[in-house]
Amino acid sequence: MSKLPITITEGSRNHLLLRYIPWTIFGLVVLVAPFWAAHTPSLSISDSTFTFSLGNLNHAVAFMVGVLGIGLLVGFNGQISLGNSFFMGVGGYLTATLVVDNDWPYLATLVVVLPVCFIIGMLVGLPALRIKGLYLALTTLGLAAVFPSIVRMEQLRDRTGGANGKRIDSRLDAPDWVPLETMADFLSGLPLVGEWAFGDGGIGGRAANAAWVYFLLVALTAAAFWVTRNLVYSRPGRSIIAIRDNETGAAVNGVNVPMTKTLTFGFSAALGGLSGTMYAMAIGFVAPDVFGINLAIFLIVGLVVGGVGTLSGAVIGGIVIVFVPVWSAQIDSMPGLPDRFLRGPTGIFFLGLLLIVLTFFLPGGIVFGMRKIRARFVHVVPPREVGGIDEVLVSAGDATGGKMSRHGGGSALDLDEDVIDPDGTDHETGPGPVSASAQQPNQGEPT
Amino acid sequence: MELFLARLFDGLSSGATYAVIAVALVLIYKATTLINFAQGELAMLGSFIAYILAIEQGMPIYLAIVLAMLLSAVLAAGIERVLIRPFDPADHLPLVIITLGLFLVINAIAGMVWGFDPRKFPRMFPEGDVWTYGIARLRWYTVGTTITVLVLLVLLTLLLKKTKIGLAFRAVSSNLESSGLVGVRAGPTLQFGWMLATAVGTLAGALFVADPFRQLDPTWAQRVLIFAAAAAVLGGLDSLWGALAGGLILGFIESMVVGYIDFIPNQMGLATAVVALIVVLLIRPNGLFGSKAVERV
Repeated sequence: MSKLPITITEGSRNHLLLRYIPWTIFGLVVLVAPFWAAHTPSLSISDSTFTFSLGNLNHAVAFMVGVLGIGLLVGFNGQISLGNSFFMGVGGYLTATLVVDNDWPYLATLVVVLPVCFIIGMLVGLPALRIKGLYLALTTLGLAAVFPSIVRMEQLRDRTGGANGKRIDSRLDAPDWVPLETMADFLSGLPLVGEWAFGDGGIGGRAANAAWVYFLLVALTAAAFWVTRNLVYSRPGRSIIAIRDNETGAAVNGVNVPMTKTLTFGFSAALGGLSGTMYAMAIGFVAPDVFGINLAIFLIVGLVVGGVGTLSGAVIGGIVIVFVPVWSAQIDSMPGLPDRFLRGPTGIFFLGLLLIVLTFFLPGGIVFGMRKIRARFVHVVPPREVGGIDEVLVSAGDATGGKMSRHGGGSALDLDEDVIDPDGTDHETGPGPVSASAQQPNQGEPT
Repeated sequence: MELFLARLFDGLSSGATYAVIAVALVLIYKATTLINFAQGELAMLGSFIAYILAIEQGMPIYLAIVLAMLLSAVLAAGIERVLIRPFDPADHLPLVIITLGLFLVINAIAGMVWGFDPRKFPRMFPEGDVWTYGIARLRWYTVGTTITVLVLLVLLTLLLKKTKIGLAFRAVSSNLESSGLVGVRAGPTLQFGWMLATAVGTLAGALFVADPFRQLDPTWAQRVLIFAAAAAVLGGLDSLWGALAGGLILGFIESMVVGYIDFIPNQMGLATAVVALIVVLLIRPNGLFGSKAVERV
């Protein structure tokens, strides 16, 4: 073996392998996961049984887009906003009422949800031009706290179902042309792992429908990530990031700061709305307290766990904020703890603990941690030498511009590689705007 | 007129309690220029400690509250030392995230330990009314809360203006680096700020749930946090007396808007607070009594 880390030239064959092998594995996992989850595999540790169910998986996929939305706003634009649960609520409820009361198909509701959330988001974004930093966090947290009381209003009861929430009876049925059955049989026929992981093949009824919903959600998620990635890697995206890093500098360089911030807010809100619609598709039920202040903070947990300033972190974040509560509710007993404690909101506890612990030990989140590990083994260098200056001063413009031209926009899931990281050190402390003008005691006050 | 007075008294009693939590937020903001999102939850925890001491240990309620204030101050000292001090006070995002994490953890612990059944907090003030005018009743609770808030603010002002630790506190909040140069130890001073704020928060929590119309459960603080934060911002985030004004104004707005405007339903009190918050930030970003911020570019 040669010495670690191995040095690989960017664009070489090995580099392509390094890029595409993980993505191929990821794609296969995405493809196979619903068939595995359809059999609700479980893991027993002492008295507790932890399950992995398709319903929860769908829920997680829906929340990935929510985390993505807040990640764009907080991680890339540097606006500390906690209000995306509000837009998720708007999306979820709009979908629910249109499907139930107006007999719309699920996906058609996006025609309403996306523009409505975009516009509300821009309207919220307008005051955000003057309200900055902590004040924005506070205001948007207020927005998140208000949502449950809005849908509980008497005047909206017919549409929202009031405090009881709204159940959507119309389910998404898997159409015949989707080869779910064939796929299940094929997987179950695989040697060694087939029967153990996928049972005796066949997927029907509710499981088939849930798997169909899963693939719809994955398609929507992939589309959302693809659009967001292209936005971030494009000229407007560089404006978005420039505002995070130095707002004044961005303005001096010709970035239309108010326009960019407002549009980013709107785009992030639209992603939130999409996530809400996906939640309605996955769960078939919306309730006021789902979209309350806790979800607003959970989205931040998802963002921090995945990695602030990365797109792929949202995938991890969505999984964490759904499965940590599910699994902590399944803890049956824990040495030294009375059982009645475990019947309380343990999920909230663990998510909060995770938030604190990660901020201490892995401030860049899991994606950053994985990059660090990768950097131990593999070192990717650019093909041309520019006197070493490249390594010190890779500007966002150069890095992204180069990427765009080389990979032509990239494949739908090609989100991970070197997601814009113009200020590598920044990951230690999160995005820049807060530290940008931090010397004064009263920073954050709009002037 | 009767109705107006009744609304006025309602606004006074809730506004005074919002003001106390707002004072706690202001104390932490003054010390660290940080909005402590866990402040409401800390107050909730403090009110539970007071409840446990009073009901399960059988202490008189005033003693229980004072003890709970001390205990929560000790807890806050620990939190500050372990979770807050390691971070650069100038960099806000990690600190915001830590306080959000605390929000979740404290909320969950209270839910796990005490459950979500509403409890009756012991009375702090005599039952009945001081003065009635038709349906308008000025309750002893309202008077007691208002007086407590005023006394608290006077004491805090004296503490900050007349004592050595108050001087250190003001020095640190005015300029962290310079105060270090003249020999003020920033860490312990900020820790003192956290302890003070949390003790005040506990008092606020006890006052809030001592209202015979309210009950004690682990969720009460979520809604109050928004009101208190709006009150603090309205008053100018770094002004103690501004927090009182902000709290009272918000209390009045809440009871008047919900009381008089028909199409705004009851639950929308919270929404009025958020709207008030946004309007204030747009028109007077430094609040009514806050010191003007100078942004260096």
